[in-house]
Parts: sequence; structure tokens; C-alpha cells
Amino acid sequence: MALSRSAPRRRSVLVLLVLTSLTLITVDVRGGGGGPLRTLKDASADLFAPAQEAVDDALAPVADWFDGVFSAGDLRAENRRLRRRLDALEGRAARSRAALAENRQLRALARLPFLEDVPAVVAEVVAGAPGNFESTLVVNKGRADGVVPGMPVVTGAGLVGRISDASRRRATVLLITDRTSGVAVRLVRSGGTGVAQGRPGGRLRLEFVTAETPVRHGELVVTAGLQNSAFPAGIPVARVASVRRLPGELTKTIELTPTAEVGRLALVKVLQWPQPGGGG
Amino acid sequence: MIRASRLGVLLAALLLVQITVLTHVRIAGAVPDLGLVATLAVAYRLGPEAGATFGFAAGAATDLFLQTPFGLSALAWVLTGYLAGVIQEGLVRSAWWVPPLFGGLGALVGGAVFLAVGALVGQEQLWTGRSFRLAVAAAGYAALVSPLVFAAVSAAVRGPGARVGSPGARTGW
Repeated sequence: MALSRSAPRRRSVLVLLVLTSLTLITVDVRGGGGGPLRTLKDASADLFAPAQEAVDDALAPVADWFDGVFSAGDLRAENRRLRRRLDALEGRAARSRAALAENRQLRALARLPFLEDVPAVVAEVVAGAPGNFESTLVVNKGRADGVVPGMPVVTGAGLVGRISDASRRRATVLLITDRTSGVAVRLVRSGGTGVAQGRPGGRLRLEFVTAETPVRHGELVVTAGLQNSAFPAGIPVARVASVRRLPGELTKTIELTPTAEVGRLALVKVLQWPQPGGGG
Repeated sequence: MIRASRLGVLLAALLLVQITVLTHVRIAGAVPDLGLVATLAVAYRLGPEAGATFGFAAGAATDLFLQTPFGLSALAWVLTGYLAGVIQEGLVRSAWWVPPLFGGLGALVGGAVFLAVGALVGQEQLWTGRSFRLAVAAAGYAALVSPLVFAAVSAAVRGPGARVGSPGARTGW
């Protein structure tokens, strides 16, 4: 790293480094999630795992304070919204209990698999995305705990994402709000199906729903569980936030709000769901 | 060689802070890329060749923890480090505000290069208005931490016991 180098040498170094980087990108993209680079990534995740967990424990109060300082306005708005929802939900709770009992009986009759029967691993969120341009979480369970890429990740409120990477002791969750995430879903009331695509800002966009489908504001969207789907059917994903239909369009533009608070998670459940085809 | 080893140790320490501490202390949803800021500091201190080389090492190390293709940060930071090294040759380096300005603007350019290169290699999802807003927020955050990172790089370049102004050490930050 000497200070004075001739211009041709500088350019040679630059070209060499650029070509090496492009080769690494090509190897990683064509490797399809395997190979030596994957092994290296997994080893790095395991190497830093103890430090990550220790810092997570130590910094939890600081992080909460920091989050509170920089999102106080959001919290006030959220508080008002939650109070309104609480009023509505208390009214619905009684009706839900009756519906739940009926639902259990119907499932038993149809011999459908209960989601509760799917083996699951409870994991703690130890870190967010280290970079700025992806929506991921790191959890403290990995291949040693039976967690492998592709498995769905849920909370009590609904789908959070799926495992995109897993080392021996750590796993990365690709959130449903990431731009690269797509989930095959079904509208519960209107029955339409489509793909819930991650959007910037923590929302989803429901694509491929025909203009004739009578979608309603607030309608629940659940995983479709189609053949070869990566997710079991019936997991709540989001609610319809807005519906637009532009003149001449064959499909509707539907914005969704995730049912799970994907931005504020401490514990999640990884469903050890089989991966028949790896599709969405 | 010894200087390169010291910079390697510094890079490992910054990476540790990046994936443990900074994921908990986001501002406006953004975190500063400490490896990129260190790349800018090395380029500022040692010139384009060293900036590009350190940028490659820092980018590759950071790529180990990202979901984007391995090598994308390395490529973006090689280009940013080289460019920063070329620009620094025309700078007067005595003012206290140079590190935050150089770090902030450099991080903004580095973020934009990352998004542009990402879109070119098939990561079109990166090319959004929100990504650019995050890049701006990350650059502001980078400006805040730049004085510390520049000082750490300066110390690693000089080595223990070296005085400012001694051979191999530049003054100013």
C-alpha cells in the first residue's frame, strides 16, 4: 500500500479487483445457494454468533430506548390505532369463540392438517439486517436445531417470512416485506388468489388478482397452500389496506398490511414444514 | 505488511460492530456501512490503489452477512475506494470537518454505486426510491461516525508509537 504508484499499475489493480468481484458475483449467483461461498458464509455466521448473542442481550434496553426516540411519532399513532382496534376486537371476540369451535369441527370432518400439528422451533431474534437494502432478521437457531432454508417463520399474528440461510447455529429470515419475497395467497372472503409481493416501507402488494374479484378493505389474506407451495395453507399474512382499479386494467392494485409486526419481533416460530418444490 | 495486518484487525473489529451493535441502533431505518467508511478513510490516507484494495477486502467481508450476491459490496466499494483515492489527491487535509464531509459524501456515492451495480447484475429490486432515501440516511449516519473511523484508520496506518508527521503518516486527521 505505498503512496505513489504509476497510473498504469493503479489501473491494473483496479481492473483486477473489479474482475475478481464480478467473478465472485457470477459464482455466487450461478451456485444457487450452495458451494464454497455458502460454506464460507455459514462459517462466518457461526463464528460471530456468540458475540451477536451477547451484544443482543446487553444492548436490548439501549436499542429499545433508541427505537423509542426515533419512532415516538409512529408509536403515538400506533397507540391510537391499536386502541380503536381493541374496541372492535373485543366485540368480535365473542363471535370468534363460537366460530373457532365450529372451525375445529369442520377441520376434523375434512381431515385437514392442523397448523398446530406442524413441528416448530421457537427462536429468538438476535439481530436485524446488517445492511440497508434488505429486510431480514437473524435468529438464534440453525441447522443443529433442525432449521433449514425454505421453512416458514410465523408469530401468533401470522406469517413473518421464510428461512433464507441457515448455518449450524444461526438462521436468516427473509421477511415477507422484502422486495424479493413473494407468497402465494388467498383472499378469505372473496376467494381470489394472487401473490403477495414485498414492498418498500413494510407493506405488501397483492398481484395477479383479477379485476372482477370483489375485494374488500380489511379483508384477511392467508397463505394459499397451493401444490408445491413453500407454506402450509391458512396462515394469516396480511389485511387489505387499499384497493384500486385503473380503467382498462385487467387486474386490481391491492396494497396489504402484514398481520404480524415484522419490524418489531423478539420471538418467532420456525415451522418445520416440508419443502416439496420450493415455490412461493 | 505489518500495516496491512493492523488494517485487517481494524476491519474485523468494525465488522463485529456492524453486525452486532449497529443492527440495534438504526436511524431512520438506516445503518452506516463501517467498512465503506473505513475504505474512504484508507483511500483518503493512502490513495486510490490502497483504497480499492481495502474496499475489496471490506466489501467481501461485509458480503458474508448480506443476502445480496457475494461480491456486490466488494465491487461497489472497490470503485468507491478508487474514486475517493483519486479525489483526495487534490484535497487540502488540515480541517476538522474533512473526515465527516469526505465520509458522508463518500458513503452517499458508495451507496449509489452499490444500488447501480446491483441493478446491473440483476438485483433490480434495489433500484427504488426508498433505497435511495435509505442511502441518503446511511450517508448522514456515516458522516457522524466518520471522525472515529478515520481516527482509527489513521492510528492503524501509523502504528503504535508513531508520531504525526513521521514518515508514512500524513497529518490532518
